[in-house]
Amino acid sequence: MDKKLISSASGLRIRRRDLLKGAGVLGIASAFPAIITRRAFAADKPTVVNSIRSLSNPYHATWNKGGAAFAKSVGADYVTLVTEGNSEKGIADIKAILAKTGGNCVINVDPNDSPDARPIVEAAKAAGAYVVTQWNKPADLHPWDFDPNYVAHISFSGVPYGKAMADTLIKAIGGKGGIVALGGIESNVPAIERKKGLEQALAANPDVKLLDYQVANWSATEALDKTNAWLTQFGDQISAIWAANDDMALAAVEALRADGRAGKVPVTGIDGIQLAVEAIQKGELAGTVAWDPYWQGGMGLSIGYQAKTGGFDPSKEPKDHREFYGKGVIITADNAKAFYDENIAAEPKMDWNDIWGRVTGQIQYE
Amino acid sequence: MTIETSIHPGPAARPATRRRWRIASWAPLIVLVLLCGIITLINPNFLTFGNLVRISQAAMIPLVLGMGATFIILMGSIDLSVEGGLTLSAVILSMLVINGANENAFGLLGVLLVLIVGAGVGFANGVIHVRLKIPSFMVTLGMWFVGVGAANALLGGMAIRINDPLIRGLAIERFLGFPWGVWVALLCLAIALVIQNYTRLGRYIYALGGGEELAALSGIPVGRVRILTFTLAGVFYAVGGVLAAAQLGLGNAQIGTGRLFTTITAVVVGGTALSGGQGSVLQTLVGVLIVVVLSNGMVLMGVPPSVQIGVQGLMIIAAVALSIDRKRMRIVK
Repeated sequence: MDKKLISSASGLRIRRRDLLKGAGVLGIASAFPAIITRRAFAADKPTVVNSIRSLSNPYHATWNKGGAAFAKSVGADYVTLVTEGNSEKGIADIKAILAKTGGNCVINVDPNDSPDARPIVEAAKAAGAYVVTQWNKPADLHPWDFDPNYVAHISFSGVPYGKAMADTLIKAIGGKGGIVALGGIESNVPAIERKKGLEQALAANPDVKLLDYQVANWSATEALDKTNAWLTQFGDQISAIWAANDDMALAAVEALRADGRAGKVPVTGIDGIQLAVEAIQKGELAGTVAWDPYWQGGMGLSIGYQAKTGGFDPSKEPKDHREFYGKGVIITADNAKAFYDENIAAEPKMDWNDIWGRVTGQIQYE
Repeated sequence: MTIETSIHPGPAARPATRRRWRIASWAPLIVLVLLCGIITLINPNFLTFGNLVRISQAAMIPLVLGMGATFIILMGSIDLSVEGGLTLSAVILSMLVINGANENAFGLLGVLLVLIVGAGVGFANGVIHVRLKIPSFMVTLGMWFVGVGAANALLGGMAIRINDPLIRGLAIERFLGFPWGVWVALLCLAIALVIQNYTRLGRYIYALGGGEELAALSGIPVGRVRILTFTLAGVFYAVGGVLAAAQLGLGNAQIGTGRLFTTITAVVVGGTALSGGQGSVLQTLVGVLIVVVLSNGMVLMGVPPSVQIGVQGLMIIAAVALSIDRKRMRIVK
């Protein structure tokens, strides 16, 4: 919203926000090389490459750790490419690594934006490299149209997890009561999917009433204000709060705390950030869903690596192995401590050969 | 944005316009009262003490930020570094007081250090703006990203939980029914009022906003006043950062997102002119309350989420339209 106000006074200047943000931290950013390379001895093995947005958010930092762990397990060279939110840089870096390795590489990429996937896949096919994409790609770009180089695309559906969290709440309040819900940015696909899951759970439980649904734009600040207003409007009618991500869920907990009700009203989030898992252990949050970026970073490479080294032939795999939804980990009070110990306090243990272990169905495009 | 071109007599000596009785300058207050009335009619819960406390909680941060921004806007400049200063302050605070990531426990000293950091950010704004003669718009835009970027670099994208009872107490502990943070915000308002009305700096700020060339000719150290004002604003943003960290119980690089919009909106809706020279911190208080009551009220009245942003926009235009003094304007840009 701030963009609207400023741009009215200054034309398009504010559009450069991201660019300037980069320039602002140039001093710091330049300390990090764009390509962090780790040289090993195995030059004949394909180099494994992760292309991600940045190393400054916990999600992609964990993704990178998973990639490094997989590379170590097979003794391959490991390269991390960072787009810093810049699509051109992301594509150019991938082309550079294709040229450097002569196509003897496997790329696991979280494209900065959906359209980026096409030039990346085309460049990889031309060079003979193998590629796995995650989260973003155009709906009409399919792995089976680029056999065998485009091995797979992995995404996660928000519907079952939005529903699972709503079910957790409904169970916690004994199947009866009023729920308020905090949604993400209205046009975001994950926000739409998670809300759909919530609605499915509510439809199956007629005794639970959705008192209100507000859009808090994934923001903790907005979630805090909305929850405060709800506490006035509905007071004790609120028996549970559903939030589409952890930031908003934790803000709702803080609003409840200021009202002396933290821990008494169950709240759920989604994303599985560390603070949320800790809050579940403390009994202030009822649940969240972890997407397991460690798995994404390592398994994306493993799938591509096994295809490249002849472990399986991508063109002979069924379509639900080529474009599939991965599995999120549902965290509640029952498993929060175990999850924390295994995934946050320590390096997770993974079987990198179990490449189809988390397939939960072919991706549906509407 | 409107630019007032006429230089009325003697702005450097006395802010005559501020004292002049105009119905327009009461428009924001009338809007606020009307707004409260309408919301109460639709949902009587609005006027309960509990909701009053919640509105004050929602208003405390915009109010403190608005104090800093008011001075800058009175001077005829603009400060876009609100989110940068706030985010950096909140993040540094979360690392200095008792927290979930390291062993620090500086307590009040940590808060003081954060205020100094805030002053430093503001001082940098002022010096770059005055000495390098770069428009405040660009300097503070840059500083916004520098602040958020530095916070990001400090945390590496993580969030730090604050466990210090002193800081958390600002949001949770209460005095006379209101959280301590609200009293801190009121203290800031009092300080800002004193600075505005009873100090040389306050008078000079009005003089600069009214007509900077005249002010310079009458011997006011224009550059120094500007630097000092930006520094002062930086301290207010740091206080805002402390309150934001206290309220959410954590510091992360996204904590300031959306604050700039609320702040500038509140200042302008309160009737302070973007062209400088007209307005006051008390008007900003009214502006903050309008913005906060409106967003609280829209939830209470059940306005659909997709319509809320639009209503807020209309409200801004309406409030500014009511409070503008058209007689004294020749050119509107």
